Amino acid sequence: MAGSKGKKGKTGLIFFPAFDWAISPTHPEREERLLYTRDQIFEEGLMDLPQIEEFKPRLAELKDIARVHFCVPDVEAQVTEAHLIAAGSTLTLADALESGQIRNGFALVRPPGHHSMTVAHGNRGFCNVNNMAILVEYLRTKYGHKKIAVIDTDVHHGDGTQEIFWHDPDVLCISFHQDGHTLYPGSGFVNEMGGPRALARTLNVPLPPGTTDEGIHYVLDNLILPILDEFKPDLVLNSAGQDNHYTDPLANMRFSANGYARLNEKLSPDLCVLEGGYAIETALPYVNTGIIQAMAGLDYSHVREPDFEPGRFVQSETMKREIESTVAQVQSLWDKRDDLVDVALSELGDFYRRRKRIFYDTDMINENQEEAVRLCPNCPGYTTISSQGQRGYGTLNNVYCISIPRHACSDCKTDAMEEYKEHIEDRKYSYVYLQDKDRDKYLIYNVRTRNQKSY
Amino acid sequence: MLIGIDVGGTTTDAVLVEAGQVKKTAYVPTDHQNLLNCLLEALDQIIAGVQPSRIERVVLSTTLITNMIAEGKTDPVALMLIPGPGTNPQDYHLGDDTIIVKGAIDYRGREIQKLDEAGAEKAAADISARGFSKVAIVGKFGQRNHAHELKAGEIVSAAIPNAQIELGHRVSGQLNFPRRAATTMLTAATKEKYREFADHITRAFEQRRISCPIYILKADGGTLPLQTSLEMPVETIFSGPAASTMGVMALTPPDQTSVVVDIGGTTTDLALILSGKPLLSSKGARVDSLLTHVRAFAVRSLAIGGDSAITVSGNCLAVGPQRLGAALCMGGPTATPTDAMRVLGLSGIGDLGRARKAMEDLGRQLGLTPTEAAQMVVDAVVDKIVSEIRQMFLEWEEEPAYRIWEIMQRGEIEAQNVAGVGGGAPPLVPLIAQRMGARPIVPDYAPVANAVGAAVARPTLTLSLRIDTERGEYIIAEEGVTGKVGDRKMNLEEAEKMARRLLAERAERLGIGEYAGEAEVTYSEVFNMVRGWSTVGRLLSVRMEIPAGLLTGWERC
Ligand SMILES: [Zn+2]
Ligand SMILES: [Zn+2]
Repeated sequence: MAGSKGKKGKTGLIFFPAFDWAISPTHPEREERLLYTRDQIFEEGLMDLPQIEEFKPRLAELKDIARVHFCVPDVEAQVTEAHLIAAGSTLTLADALESGQIRNGFALVRPPGHHSMTVAHGNRGFCNVNNMAILVEYLRTKYGHKKIAVIDTDVHHGDGTQEIFWHDPDVLCISFHQDGHTLYPGSGFVNEMGGPRALARTLNVPLPPGTTDEGIHYVLDNLILPILDEFKPDLVLNSAGQDNHYTDPLANMRFSANGYARLNEKLSPDLCVLEGGYAIETALPYVNTGIIQAMAGLDYSHVREPDFEPGRFVQSETMKREIESTVAQVQSLWDKRDDLVDVALSELGDFYRRRKRIFYDTDMINENQEEAVRLCPNCPGYTTISSQGQRGYGTLNNVYCISIPRHACSDCKTDAMEEYKEHIEDRKYSYVYLQDKDRDKYLIYNVRTRNQKSY
Repeated sequence: MLIGIDVGGTTTDAVLVEAGQVKKTAYVPTDHQNLLNCLLEALDQIIAGVQPSRIERVVLSTTLITNMIAEGKTDPVALMLIPGPGTNPQDYHLGDDTIIVKGAIDYRGREIQKLDEAGAEKAAADISARGFSKVAIVGKFGQRNHAHELKAGEIVSAAIPNAQIELGHRVSGQLNFPRRAATTMLTAATKEKYREFADHITRAFEQRRISCPIYILKADGGTLPLQTSLEMPVETIFSGPAASTMGVMALTPPDQTSVVVDIGGTTTDLALILSGKPLLSSKGARVDSLLTHVRAFAVRSLAIGGDSAITVSGNCLAVGPQRLGAALCMGGPTATPTDAMRVLGLSGIGDLGRARKAMEDLGRQLGLTPTEAAQMVVDAVVDKIVSEIRQMFLEWEEEPAYRIWEIMQRGEIEAQNVAGVGGGAPPLVPLIAQRMGARPIVPDYAPVANAVGAAVARPTLTLSLRIDTERGEYIIAEEGVTGKVGDRKMNLEEAEKMARRLLAERAERLGIGEYAGEAEVTYSEVFNMVRGWSTVGRLLSVRMEIPAGLLTGWERC
């Protein structure tokens, strides 16, 4: 069984509330967000308990960001110090986990990241860069992990993480969330299941508004945990949003602090990274306390919201059947995953291409993408993305991105380099990027000034 | 004239300071069975021939509370907790005499569950039946709203006449419920015996016709009038390291960064002075197995000193942690660093012949000349101390931080001085300083630095003010005071002004009003509370402190 279950040692905790950072003074992502959580977990004395060790956050390096994102025009333009610290915190815990200093860890940090996609023109859904994806790529590059499972327990679809690992069969992304018909970002349906080579390694479980502890634990017990048993990842990571809570102002679910704690106990992730959650007084202090306790193997049964009684929310029969049917659908996709891949590949040629439109709600940017993945018989294949960011009627930036995967074959490496050389001469683009994950080298070429920058 | 007396682990030191100069010193071996006697013996030596009326101030630093706790001689205490939702109180391991009462206050001081008064009555009856006369009552977030603690206190005092009751919010305004519980419990457990001790002291001083104010030194390097300290006996714990650090501050140039190295017979204590300010441990002192809110200097202790036993296994040499007795050169049973330093000419203490013999024996086992063996011993001691200092720096650098600017700004520590006190300091401090690239300082009065520190330390005081303008309230936990705030848009500057005024009043009540002007804001925060898309109020917290420092008029040597 993957995850931290049965492992000995402490739970690592990084608490970085970014008390001096906000998107804007009254935005949900503001200074006050983790204030009451701080009060609660400090008053509980959790950091003093022998089961828990607190770590100081560090800044992620720009290279850690470039390993995941094509930041336009460059990494410095998309991240503030707060972003680097939030991302860096996850890496500090990764190092502690790998060195055996801790058995599991929780990066209780902001700003969040799971709506950020591969190309970053601006802020989407309160996120600029994807902390979880940065963590995954760091763990693979530095520690050579192959298979990783990311479970997104935020109420919103983890569309950024999904998009980043869309073509990667070794990263299993499972997101359960409030149905995209009724909530931002409007995606995360069952039929979104990954690129041709990674079909059913992206799994989405849309849930009806009002889903309770019972419904979410049904999904966990009957779908997520069995799938993890089969997938056998090296590590299980939790994108731990807290906005499924029954008091969250941005969503409509009915999950409780106890439900969250129990989820983390059963899932026993190796690392948890905070995502959203905006009921800053009524949910976060209790949910975070519960998650920390569950991860540290402490008794969480005393955590209870002031207005919560067990049995407060009862799930209707209709809702129960709806959830069971969704779970059955997703289960069947997972069961035939290898067939799905075979069929898809048999219908495709050397390249798989798709067009995407991405909307950045926070920064009001529209992005148009054309993506191509080489379906190489000898390696995961290189990827190219041509992307145009627009605000209003004006074009912000037209960029071309090339990504060479880890363990790329020599043909793919050569061809990707050719693409780079060809496109840096193309005046249509303002920036051309080469993300070489195999050599852990990242280049940005400014077509106008003919300057090349590397991370 | 100022008098400082430090009752330490092995000796009791006293100094008489006049016009910025140490005029007289005294040493008495500490008798742990009778701390009062050795304190008075040191006092009598120091005041012999002195007009009592010329003594302006006496400061005492004692291990009384430390010993009491270490030897398990504290009084039994029943702990009544009002924990509300959160951690299972059993996970705090606060002892078997813990009773839980229902009721809850939240992080903003709002009552979220009424106090179960019937439950509290039952608990009180139970406590009474079990024969406790001392009760600590601590509620989670009691520092934000002490109504439950007060009510529970009334219930207990009705059930147990003459009970000594301590309430958590009076002990600390800081967040951390289990630490507040532990500190409150220790306060209840030591108060009575501490009062007896203080009464003896008062009487003894009266007999000697010394009528000047008597102060006690606290773990944070500050002094408190003896009478006031009766309310907070636990604060006097670990005053020894505080005394030596204050002594170094008194005996070295101001505003510099120094490592304080106190090298004794069996242990070496390390402390830090950063830009002239002693470094406090971030959360509070550990007392025995309990984590507390007691503000104390960040001190690291390592089991190595002049009398540590040297052992050899194979080619390896180890110094400490045991002490088998004095050094060979002092007639003891085994080779020690003191013998090595004697052989190398780093010190003149003890018999050179015996020291040489010790190093010859050691050299034979290691295949080295006596001088080489001695050098190896001294290197080992210096290595150990230096690596512990580096570890201490690292720990400071790795302290968690919750704001961007704190993370961006915190750099590496560079020590300008290594200041040594204690018997082992003079020969070793230059070697440690050389390794650290710092200046060695061994003050003239290094052996009595503790007593000097006590003599010239000024009072310290903390006040935590919390304002919630949406609820229109302010609270000062330590004072048990609450009040109304009318201005929803109160800003930090106004809050700090208010804290300064309240601190001055508190200082006046505690008999240290003349130092209120030294108060500074050590922590402050302000958060706009936004509900929906509009600001409905502000949460402001200000911690105001008179920090550790030296009496004005103290001339540094
Ligand atoms: Zn969310
Ligand atoms: Zn290839």
